[in-house]
Amino acid sequence: MKKKKFLKTATPYFFILPWIIGFLVFTFGPLLLSLIMSFFDWPLTGEKVFVGLGNYIEMFTQDDQVLKSLGISLRYAAIFVPLNLILALFLAMLITQPLRGVKVYRAIFYIPAAISSVAISIIWSWILNSDYGVLNYLLSLIGIEGPDWLVDPAWAIFAVILASAFGVGTMMLIFYTDMKNISTEIYEAASIDGAGPARKFFSITLPIITPTLLFNLITSIISSFQQVTLVMLLTGGGPLQSTYFYGLMTYNNAFKHHKMGYASANAWVMFIIILLLTALVFKSSSAWVFYESEVKADNKKKKRGGK
Amino acid sequence: MKRKLAVVCIMMLSATTILSGCGGSSDDSSSGGKTKIRFATWDVAEDVDKQQELVDKFNEEHDDIEVTLEAYGSDFDTKISAGMGSGDTPDVMYMWNYPAYYDGLEPLDDYIAEEGDEYKSNFYNTLWDYNMMDGSTYGIPVGFTTHCLFYNKDIFDEAGVEYPTADWTWDDLQAAAKTISEKTDAKGFSFQMKPDPYDFEMYLWSNGTSYCDENGEMDGYINSEESQEVFQMFQDMEKDEYATSTEGDGTDEFRAGSTAMYVYGSWAINTLNEDGVNYGVTTIPAFADAGQDSVSILSSSGLSMSKDSEHKDAAWEFIKYWTNEECNKARIGTELPVLNTVVESEGIMEQEEYAPFYTMLEQSQGHTPASFLIDSWSEVAENLQLSFEQIFNPSSLQPVDKALESAVQ
Repeated sequence: MKKKKFLKTATPYFFILPWIIGFLVFTFGPLLLSLIMSFFDWPLTGEKVFVGLGNYIEMFTQDDQVLKSLGISLRYAAIFVPLNLILALFLAMLITQPLRGVKVYRAIFYIPAAISSVAISIIWSWILNSDYGVLNYLLSLIGIEGPDWLVDPAWAIFAVILASAFGVGTMMLIFYTDMKNISTEIYEAASIDGAGPARKFFSITLPIITPTLLFNLITSIISSFQQVTLVMLLTGGGPLQSTYFYGLMTYNNAFKHHKMGYASANAWVMFIIILLLTALVFKSSSAWVFYESEVKADNKKKKRGGK
Repeated sequence: MKRKLAVVCIMMLSATTILSGCGGSSDDSSSGGKTKIRFATWDVAEDVDKQQELVDKFNEEHDDIEVTLEAYGSDFDTKISAGMGSGDTPDVMYMWNYPAYYDGLEPLDDYIAEEGDEYKSNFYNTLWDYNMMDGSTYGIPVGFTTHCLFYNKDIFDEAGVEYPTADWTWDDLQAAAKTISEKTDAKGFSFQMKPDPYDFEMYLWSNGTSYCDENGEMDGYINSEESQEVFQMFQDMEKDEYATSTEGDGTDEFRAGSTAMYVYGSWAINTLNEDGVNYGVTTIPAFADAGQDSVSILSSSGLSMSKDSEHKDAAWEFIKYWTNEECNKARIGTELPVLNTVVESEGIMEQEEYAPFYTMLEQSQGHTPASFLIDSWSEVAENLQLSFEQIFNPSSLQPVDKALESAVQ
């Protein structure tokens, strides 16, 4: 009898066991180890020396690059996140239109998101090349002399933003599925009341998809801070270190300069910054994110209060 | 009954996950009486297939040793770093960056001594310098390249300029480049906008200086007059617009025929042959006032043994095989042979696209790259690269003395 009861309670845990093991071994373990490493001077080979908060202190007192790279990453995020959201929203609106062949467009817009970022970097390094790149050639056709995208420090960050906006498809798809869920009756009712397309978008679509917006906002903030592959392959941090993102700096400290401890400290500082930003967004979300269930609960309360 | 079955299934599933999870690391390294050797390479694609053939051949010839090839590709450094950090380094691995990794490598001097003098002297002497650190040898040379001047014969013909020769100086190159830029659509010469500091030191050597002294002290060397001369010369060529600085290594521009000359390693030969570019190769021009031949950096690869390897004798057996004449011959086309006997027997010196690389090799003895002298080279190199880019990037073109002064700090 007892045995049976044990099995009954244990069964669900067996089901998730593979995942738990994976999490412990591949996520939590390394996470913990990197936290420990961040308190050590941890070269690849040779003695590891405990330095307490030394790595963290060094980051903010001796290493100018930390603040510079942080600035670059912040600037990138500040431009990339809103741009990406607007672009994704715009494309999602386009592919919800009841048009012929819209499925083809949906696929076309999504394809870049399915390409590995290594391939994307290589494609864009060809597109953006100032001598034989196709982008500057196209610009020259309409009489514009394109900048040296990957050579001029003033333009390189935009080149990176351009290339990363290429992967907008995933976000577009998330917006799209949410928009598809909005019942057409609401739009019909609005039309009868005389609302135009713009009014319908701002008063119906946008408020209803705010939870998705929140999700996309947070994931894109996180991913923009973690951006490494693209800058590593597209610009290598250059020209003149104008795209030396924080993530790339961390990577170089670890795998180029072999300062594992210091790089772990870099990573944890980034983790904390992302955590704070995410918390901030969450905190603000009560002001602009609307959950249907919340509204309903509120109404009930009000009604009850009214009685 | 159904539930019982489900539970059994789950138990089995989780058991296999756990077992397979552990299986990876508890691989018995001498199962079946064979000593297992792990061998890491950085090569990719067809090169790996070729290497696998050579490995298979070794395995056939040896009953007691089994070598497995692990191709790390572009992750090579990351994986070797991680391997050394966790004590799980492959027994044998390709190596070039000795200053960064020699702590985890086995000194090979005793093994080499046992093979006798002739074994060692059959390798080109300069190559040993590049496989050493602090007086100990950590790798057996596998391949190398020096750098040479590539020139596009068609563009030279079009401009009516004589082809470069081995006794050219930079003045000759500049004169030719000017004429070419004037008479054709191509630029006369190209060099890298963001050169690898490791490579660029050869120009300083050629002009009688270097990045630093034997103790790694840079002040008075990289900012010396001779050094400034070098940087100034390249920057002036760019400013006068008969040379251009390239975003990449310059091969693409050369292939496209948009530049007539550039300096690069033997890596370009296969690509240029495939493209059917009508090109020639010669030694790098000398500095007229330096009173010496030009010198090249070596990009060399060696084969090293992990100091943690449990089967060092078997590993050495494999290293010897991988660096012997047979394998040197098999690699021709992907690597320049490093053995005197192979270069002779295969008539490499008669092939005009390969011979200059060996001439440069002989001219380049007796220089130690700064990466072997400066302790935190990878960080110093990053600073140097930034300074070089400040000098050569067309959107900054900083004054040479100022940029080099900031490189010293």
